[in-house]
Amino acid sequence: MEKILITLHINDKPCEVMVYPNDTLLEVLRDELDLTGSKESCGEGVCGSCTIQMDGKPVRSCLTLAMEAQGTRIKTVEGLANEEELSDLQQSFIDHGAVQCGFCTPGMLISADALLNENPRPDKKTIRKALAGNICRCTGYAKIIEAVAHTNNPQESCPDCITGSKTGSKPNKIQGE
Amino acid sequence: MRLPRFDYLGPDTLEEALDLLAVHREDAKILAGGTDLLVRMKKGLLQPKFLISLKALNELSYITQEEDHIKIGARTPLADIIDSDLIKDKAFALSQACEKIGAASIQHFKGTIGGNILQDNRCHHYNQSDFLRSGRQACHKDGGKICYAREDADRCNSTCQSDGATALMALGAGITLATKGGQRQVDLASFYTNDGIMPFACESHELLTEISIPVQGALSAYKRLAYRSAIDYPIVCAGVLLQPPKSQTNDIDEARIVVGAMGRSPLYLAQASSSLKGKKLSDTDAFKNAAELSMNSSAAFAVHNVGATLEYRCAMVSEMVFKALVQAAQSVKE
Amino acid sequence: MSDYTIIGKRMPRVDSRAKVMGKAKFTADLKLPGMLVGKIKRSPHAHARIVNIDISKAMALDGVKSVVTGKDTEGVKWGVFAYTRDQEFIQTQKVRYIGDEVAGVAAVDEETALKALDLIDVEYEELPPVFDPMEAMASETELIHEDFPNNVNIHVNIDTGNVDENFEKAHYIREDTYVAPEESYFQAEPYAIVARFDHEDCLEVWCPNGGPHMKSKPLSNAFKIPLHKVKIRKITIGGAFGGRSEICPVDYICALLAKKTKKPVKIEFTREENTIATRQGHAMITTHKTGVDKEGHVLARETTCYMDGGAYSSTGPIATSVPFLSMEQAYRMGSVRYNGYRVYTNKPIRGMIRTHGRGFACGLDTQLDIIADHLGIDPVEMRLRNSRQPGEYTSTKSFVDSCAMDETIHKAVEKSGFKEKWGKLPPFHGIGIGTNSVQTGFPMGIRGGSQSFIKFNEDGEATVMSGVVDNGQGNDNMLVQIAAEELGLLPEDIHLVSADTETTSSDPGSYSQVSTFVGGQAVQIAAKNCKEKLFAVAAKVLKVEPKTLVAKNRLIFVKDDPEKSISIKKVVRISLLNFTSVNAEGGYWPKVDMKREWVKNPYGQMCEAFSFGTTIVEVKVDPDTGQVEVLEVTAAQDVGYGLNPLILEGQFEGSIAMGGQGGMLTEYHEWKDGRCINPTMLDYKLPLACDMPPKINSIIVESIDPKGPYGAKEAGMSIAMSAAQGYSAAVSNAIGVFMDSFPLTPDKILTAIKNKEKQDQKV
Repeated sequence: MEKILITLHINDKPCEVMVYPNDTLLEVLRDELDLTGSKESCGEGVCGSCTIQMDGKPVRSCLTLAMEAQGTRIKTVEGLANEEELSDLQQSFIDHGAVQCGFCTPGMLISADALLNENPRPDKKTIRKALAGNICRCTGYAKIIEAVAHTNNPQESCPDCITGSKTGSKPNKIQGE
Repeated sequence: MRLPRFDYLGPDTLEEALDLLAVHREDAKILAGGTDLLVRMKKGLLQPKFLISLKALNELSYITQEEDHIKIGARTPLADIIDSDLIKDKAFALSQACEKIGAASIQHFKGTIGGNILQDNRCHHYNQSDFLRSGRQACHKDGGKICYAREDADRCNSTCQSDGATALMALGAGITLATKGGQRQVDLASFYTNDGIMPFACESHELLTEISIPVQGALSAYKRLAYRSAIDYPIVCAGVLLQPPKSQTNDIDEARIVVGAMGRSPLYLAQASSSLKGKKLSDTDAFKNAAELSMNSSAAFAVHNVGATLEYRCAMVSEMVFKALVQAAQSVKE
Repeated sequence: MSDYTIIGKRMPRVDSRAKVMGKAKFTADLKLPGMLVGKIKRSPHAHARIVNIDISKAMALDGVKSVVTGKDTEGVKWGVFAYTRDQEFIQTQKVRYIGDEVAGVAAVDEETALKALDLIDVEYEELPPVFDPMEAMASETELIHEDFPNNVNIHVNIDTGNVDENFEKAHYIREDTYVAPEESYFQAEPYAIVARFDHEDCLEVWCPNGGPHMKSKPLSNAFKIPLHKVKIRKITIGGAFGGRSEICPVDYICALLAKKTKKPVKIEFTREENTIATRQGHAMITTHKTGVDKEGHVLARETTCYMDGGAYSSTGPIATSVPFLSMEQAYRMGSVRYNGYRVYTNKPIRGMIRTHGRGFACGLDTQLDIIADHLGIDPVEMRLRNSRQPGEYTSTKSFVDSCAMDETIHKAVEKSGFKEKWGKLPPFHGIGIGTNSVQTGFPMGIRGGSQSFIKFNEDGEATVMSGVVDNGQGNDNMLVQIAAEELGLLPEDIHLVSADTETTSSDPGSYSQVSTFVGGQAVQIAAKNCKEKLFAVAAKVLKVEPKTLVAKNRLIFVKDDPEKSISIKKVVRISLLNFTSVNAEGGYWPKVDMKREWVKNPYGQMCEAFSFGTTIVEVKVDPDTGQVEVLEVTAAQDVGYGLNPLILEGQFEGSIAMGGQGGMLTEYHEWKDGRCINPTMLDYKLPLACDMPPKINSIIVESIDPKGPYGAKEAGMSIAMSAAQGYSAAVSNAIGVFMDSFPLTPDKILTAIKNKEKQDQKV
């Protein structure tokens, strides 16, 4: 079996990489391109931890051959932020406590991001359906759903909907200095 | 979990794909979305030398209506079928079936209607890793002589869990199988061998290219039962079609009841179906009777191999059939 | 309470940012130069003698760097307790379950490693396996471990005396048996481990763990190197839920391969390996016999529980006890006799799990409902008549200090509308209540306490060192929140060094439910000690008494005269310039009865505090399919004090998903000849986003424990258990049948409905 040179378009950047035919996109992302944000949790396309976006649609990268990812625009969790500035969705996850162990988080964010790009203010039922293919063992999903719902639609009644951040991208003002 | 080695072939046209199939035959497998094929390869259940990818064959992805048939390309993503008003309107059972398959993140690229029809039969004793299958005799489907789902069975009892195929068979669909230099049309109902090891009556160099659904003003519906509301294969499912006669009365001229996830293929239940001939769309007693007949007919085929207890799945056949019949009947346009 | 600036606030976690960016490193994400891929060869037989192992072909394969078998070990047996040493790290004589480790391989890549596994020839002589614990206890069965007659691994006997007399006095007695098969953790992150010996011959290990110090000691013993040369590193962990708390063969094998190859070795488990080759929850058959007086007070109880322990002991004594202990903490029992038997079978190993004994707990609560029904009392009243009160002793003589069990009951009842609904809902619509209690820790001898060290940097910010591990529940944030509050800094001024055995002191581990109570408190004490030193310096500068000072927002100032202030940064610099240190340490050791032991002496003070919780669940059951639709769940827990309500809510919601939605409705393992036939995420049904109830109410109840840090106790486990009980009670209520076999899958529910219909027709 020989390695083949392919070009993948990942997070708005072209990447040349040598791959075997039986390399999955997930393996290439993690092992060759050091994009370890996407995870393997089940290896068989069930859990969604490996979810990336292909031309804006969420896809299981563990069941995608790297070779077949050519010619598509791939977005991984590493591509959600703009350098150090988090996307509104990422910030919403942090603010709403939607991240516990964090293993399912990249896949969740990708699926949610894809949804919000098509439907910026989805109701909770729609969000549940869109995230049905992403398994989380820690959160019970409640805060994830809320974080997605409130990203573009902050609610007065929600104590966790704040603009800016308490920790994270923007440091607090230093007082008394 | 790594895939085993293979040679990847990426034809640009249908013709090229058929050429490759003609050359490689059993040594090759078709790769559409890969949710069935690649998972089985990771588990060591098969190791094809070649994968022939349909990725470039956009010509196999379409939904059109031609006179009195809806034609769907085999490589059409499930998401497209779910979004199609035409299918919702004229082949509702298929729309309902596709919605239930997998999850949103599978339905766009990974799930195709052809792939769903051609997904291999399943059994919780067979669909295991290399490791879990070692240390014991191989079962029929795995090349051995034993069945772990039904004691002393001399044949494989793996189950067809395809939502798409169940709905399509109820709709009376046909398929087109192409080869280099020709093609043939087959009724979906005749496409099954009723064999667990090789469930489909097609040659290794044939490619499923199109599904054709007759449009005759029929009413259809699909119901399925699974543990969870996404991801899972059905543990029992039913597709029904009710054909009112052309005079648009409330009588049923022809009915088709198909039960899936119970047998080695979707089961078209002739007796249950014909029991509805001449009955009214409002006749829930007739539906109950048909549902019970369905249960009795399909129970003989089922074995405990897809989760949930056998008794429960059998009992649920009548539930699924009844509910599907009621829904189909209620969808009649005033 | 309102004086706190950071504690008690809904603060987003300090570790969330790295996680949402995909930057957080889990073990499988690590890449070290020269790293090899390791794989384990496992027994395909449930019970067999190892006749011969031939590794020559594997060794000869190009790309294979090392193959290890039992021959490379000293055949020493290991165990969590001295009296449970029954497992070699690599089997030399016998294999005892499908998955048991017989060899390990390190190679240049995964494909080569897997090929090498196939080339290892193992000759087995199969032995008769036993899969049922009752069968295993019968005398004709081949013993799984020679030293354990009747395959009984652990027998816990608790007897408070007068049990039989009190049964005589009882007005009404019930005896019922409840069964539940095993369930699994299914942490999102499959187990993985990276090990290497560095240039100083120190062993460095990264792996998900429930307590790194639980891993370092056995490795130190096994490799005969001192503890200061064993460095279990901090790494982001994708869930533990009571698992990953003890050393296991793959840890040893990976380190051994690293030693032999002189290269780092990484072993990644498949999902299947994570299910069958780590730990699972115990399957249990529990018989409760309960005698009550006319008012429903429990006078006597006798409980016998047979647990399927699998092939090795693991944390057997703990797992055999906790199901009982949770119930004796939650309820008064008059007098009680408990016999818990953990039995070996030729199945994967069972250990401690968050929902400790779902059948046990649901059985006890269901029986209370049955008795209540008989006596004409409602389930809430039944709980209140037997609920734990502060100032009481549990049956095994632990003093219960803070306890707001009744408050959790009342608040949950009020929020859920229980009184308005119970008995008044339409058919197949039900509501149920469950209550439970969790101990904060248990006597752990030399590892019962936690110590923290805090150092200040010259820019006035601090580094906090603690042995507490974060499995995803938010322990890192908890420590930072506490340190920030006490030191008067902001969370972003604090860097946490934790769960690293090179630099941090021993800690009991997160699985013992003491991360906050003991670990957090150690950090609080260390911070207070730092503050004392800072105040001493500041007082001199401000010319005031130290006791007038407070620290907040990076300032130290006079409480009643805030203008008199100095920044913490200045104070640190002044100290350093004056040859004084403001660094400090702090430690906390709970006062427990050190003579208390799980088996030999299960009496005495177990821990310093207990949490208490109530979960009320409302469901609708489809009488045609037996499927359950969960409408609303209300969880109220006495957590002592809510250090961070945002995190607490997340714990409650996750607990409901695991203990209730999954644990009561869909999760169980199915077996065929010792083979687990549903080890994957497809076949083992974890709840999905669309399955969860639309409405979850989380109520934080605060009893302000006198010993806990800020009054805090525990919050990660109690709701998982009471949620299971609440779900079970709700379904039973909906269908009018008290269920006794869990989980309540649709087929069982449907059968119960049909049987009841037949019975009702006969009447």
